[in-house]
Amino acid sequence: MALRELKVCLLGDTGVGKSSIVCRFVEDSFDPNINPTIGASFMTKTVQYQNDLHKFLIWDTAGQERFRALAPMYYRGSAAAIIVYDITKEESFQTLKNWVKELRQHGPPDIVVAIAGNKCDLSDAREVPEKDAKDYADSIHAIFVETSAKNAININEAFTEISKRIPVIDAEGGPSGKSFKLGRQATESRRTCC
Amino acid sequence: MLASRAFHSSVNGTTAIPWRSSRRRLSLLEQLRACQEAWCPRTPWDREEVQAVLRGTPAGSFLVLRDSVTSQPSLLCVSAGEQNEEVLHYDLKYTGTVFQLSESRLSFSDLPQLVLFYSLTRDVLSVCLTIPCWIYSVTEMNKNRLSQLEPKTWLSTPPELQTEEMTNKELSNVMCSIQLTSTNGALCIINPLYLREHGDDWLTHRTTAAQSSTSRRDRRLSTTRAWTGSGLQNKRAVSLEQEPSAVSEDVSGLVRARSADSASNPTTPTGVVLRRSSKDFPNSPFQRLTTGSLSTPSTPVSIIPEVHRHSSPLPQSPHRVSWIEDGFWLPPPRPSSLLHPPSLELDSLSISSIEEEQESQFPSPSSYHPSPHRLANKVINRLSAVGQALGGLVSQKKRLTNRVLELSERKGGAFAEAVKGFVEMTLKGGPDPSGVTGPEFLQEVRSSLTSLREILLDYAEIQAILDSITDLNDLEIDSLVELSVHKVALKPVSAHLYNYIHTSRTNDGSFERLQSNFLVLEKKEVQDLGGSAGVGVPDSVILERIKQRWSSMHEAYSPNKKIQILLKVCKSIYHSMSANTSSGTVFGADDFLPCLTWVLLRSNLVALQVDTDYMMELLDPTQLQGEGGYYLTTLYASLYYISSFRPRLAARQLSMEAQKSINQWHRRRTLYCNQSRRSKHRRTIRRQSCHDQSKQDSDAETGCKNGSVEEHNPDSTDVSEQQTGRSSETAQAQSENAQSEPEDEDESHTAAPTSDWQPAAQQEVAADNQEDGQTVCVAEEEQQSAF
Repeated sequence: MALRELKVCLLGDTGVGKSSIVCRFVEDSFDPNINPTIGASFMTKTVQYQNDLHKFLIWDTAGQERFRALAPMYYRGSAAAIIVYDITKEESFQTLKNWVKELRQHGPPDIVVAIAGNKCDLSDAREVPEKDAKDYADSIHAIFVETSAKNAININEAFTEISKRIPVIDAEGGPSGKSFKLGRQATESRRTCC
Repeated sequence: MLASRAFHSSVNGTTAIPWRSSRRRLSLLEQLRACQEAWCPRTPWDREEVQAVLRGTPAGSFLVLRDSVTSQPSLLCVSAGEQNEEVLHYDLKYTGTVFQLSESRLSFSDLPQLVLFYSLTRDVLSVCLTIPCWIYSVTEMNKNRLSQLEPKTWLSTPPELQTEEMTNKELSNVMCSIQLTSTNGALCIINPLYLREHGDDWLTHRTTAAQSSTSRRDRRLSTTRAWTGSGLQNKRAVSLEQEPSAVSEDVSGLVRARSADSASNPTTPTGVVLRRSSKDFPNSPFQRLTTGSLSTPSTPVSIIPEVHRHSSPLPQSPHRVSWIEDGFWLPPPRPSSLLHPPSLELDSLSISSIEEEQESQFPSPSSYHPSPHRLANKVINRLSAVGQALGGLVSQKKRLTNRVLELSERKGGAFAEAVKGFVEMTLKGGPDPSGVTGPEFLQEVRSSLTSLREILLDYAEIQAILDSITDLNDLEIDSLVELSVHKVALKPVSAHLYNYIHTSRTNDGSFERLQSNFLVLEKKEVQDLGGSAGVGVPDSVILERIKQRWSSMHEAYSPNKKIQILLKVCKSIYHSMSANTSSGTVFGADDFLPCLTWVLLRSNLVALQVDTDYMMELLDPTQLQGEGGYYLTTLYASLYYISSFRPRLAARQLSMEAQKSINQWHRRRTLYCNQSRRSKHRRTIRRQSCHDQSKQDSDAETGCKNGSVEEHNPDSTDVSEQQTGRSSETAQAQSENAQSEPEDEDESHTAAPTSDWQPAAQQEVAADNQEDGQTVCVAEEEQQSAF
């Protein structure tokens, strides 16, 4: 039994609720008293997945356009990225697509990508149809969930999906996970443009 | 190496942490799995046969019988002791998914887990299962032999596995993943991560020279995975502290096992081993006292820790303290119970004759009901106990540090020579007239530090000290060693390194940019820097304190220590951020980064840049993913934001520069990453060869500038291969990585798509590259519009 530390990077426009999602995910840790992190930008939570413990080290990034340039410092070495958009803001979905593209080009090749449409509790103000987002996510083989940090919808599910897609450590044997190789795809898509 | 390889994943960003794997031994569970044939023979044995074999074996010796029809494991046969002719039988059930004893509702996903669990806790059994001592000495090397063992050899010691170390090795193998304790029917689970972070020495102790029976009992609670959901499906009070010979109590109740502090039967020691102060035992300072109980109500509560502290000024090892096992997180004990309530726990630590006192308290158990007053005392005592335990840890550290210091001064010793060589070479190195870039030099320093650590670990005396610190995990032990190396090696050269970083940062113009952008940005409020409206910034008092912290950070020579101070600063920034907001407001990176930037603009940017570089380059790479790594990255990012701030610059180009910068750094770190972990082959310091390499490297780089057109080559593997071909350093590093760390190999691929940008100096001077960067930008923009 091993503890695996999984670095997870949070990307997305400012105000889409990145840190709320993480806070929601982390708040019901099985022991909240234990070693809290100093702030919400970096949080950890350990969950059990099959025979492993997955300790998510969640790196939040600043979503403002002016800080976009700094993102690579955060997502390098990540096992997964959660790209968050706000279902009530079309613009945030466009930003998300740019993040996907950037990760393909510069992110770690095996990075697991999860797309989270946050604020699904505000469906009256919805601007991004769920189907569009789902289709897009499928087209890039990313995990897709619509979440509500406010109502704790689909938060744990998103992380469970990530756990599932994290490749199993080979040396440990056992079935290999459905790993999502963004790198390979990126390769193909970039070939077409160069 | 093989064993540890299994834990290091080949996946981005994942690190598997083997809590106790450093000795490259198999975990107990793996060992049990490997020899399952021996204790659960496949060829059908019958009861009589098993009974005959088990008779006369030590209590707890066991075999598992398979059903002759289904050949599923069906019966657990346990020896009741050498004097006892009887062999105990327990029915085993296999539900198709889980194994369980039919009397128990605990289920396990496989048989070895069940065995392991019952070797640690008795639950429904009369005695704990005994796993033969020799199994602990099984390593990857002789693992194969395990599968050939037969039941008879399982019960005795196979000669080929017999080693003199096996008696002592028991504890070192236990992976500490959970601690289960119980009081009055409640279950207390202590988070393994807490233990990983803080060590569990304050919970447990180790008797290095104790007789095996003591260590057996004392092995306490730790099991590799007995609790992992599938393993422990229903929560029940379990005590893992049972004496093997203890007689099973009433098994019908929910509380099947006695908890450590509810020892109604004083003849049953519960495995609490207390250390006595050396004054009590002048002849045997390491003697420990085994007692049956922790509660000594007759002792004045609050005085004891004091007494203890006085009587043992140098606590040598942490205590196995049972107080953790009671009420702290649990509801108050049942008042009517005949078992004495766990009212006083810690205090008993320093009491030598607890057993007698425990008996004396039985007549009036009801007088120890907890009261608020007592509770307060308990809290105080716990705090003292924690302090005490920390004291124990500190003294271990001190011992290590002193020994390392001693070794570094020992004339002619390998370590002393290496340190001397390192200091000399480092002091000679430095800003070259030819303008050799900073990072390579610092990485050399980093790799030398790692080598020094390896040399240190070769010393038996160091290993002995480390082995005596059993309750820290490998990472913590590594960082202890690391800190002691910093003290002897980094301290003498830190001023020189500061100078060095300062000079290279001056030469590459970073300071100039920082200063000029500082003038542009200094007047900006946090909202102008991107912070949201409600976010607060430190007031002048806190800002002053932060500045003091920055200067103590600058004074610290150890990168680890610097990180700790950085975290303190970040914490007070968070505090200020939310000072004026309603509770519940969450500030993530969207607000923290602007706030930190705001603080930096009021701090000494130059010193901070030097410290940041120092930490980035010299910190043990294993530390880079955690909280320290995050805030260091944020500090770096913030400084980068300031120094590269150009109001009208296209965001994309900025991004490219940032990527270059970070990828250069990442590439360097990746090269040496494997060295920072314990590797099988020890390295000696390769100062000379490193110089050669970097020279070659820079030669190679000048030669490959023309290759930069292909740098945007989409195929990451190709790029990385080209890279390999170009740079001998990379090539070597990669082959090293391949040898020792699959993960690293992977990481270098990770870096590959963008790592083809060359190191900082070349990058920033070379105009072609700059142009190339722009070409890339254009290409990217096209792509973006196509998207």
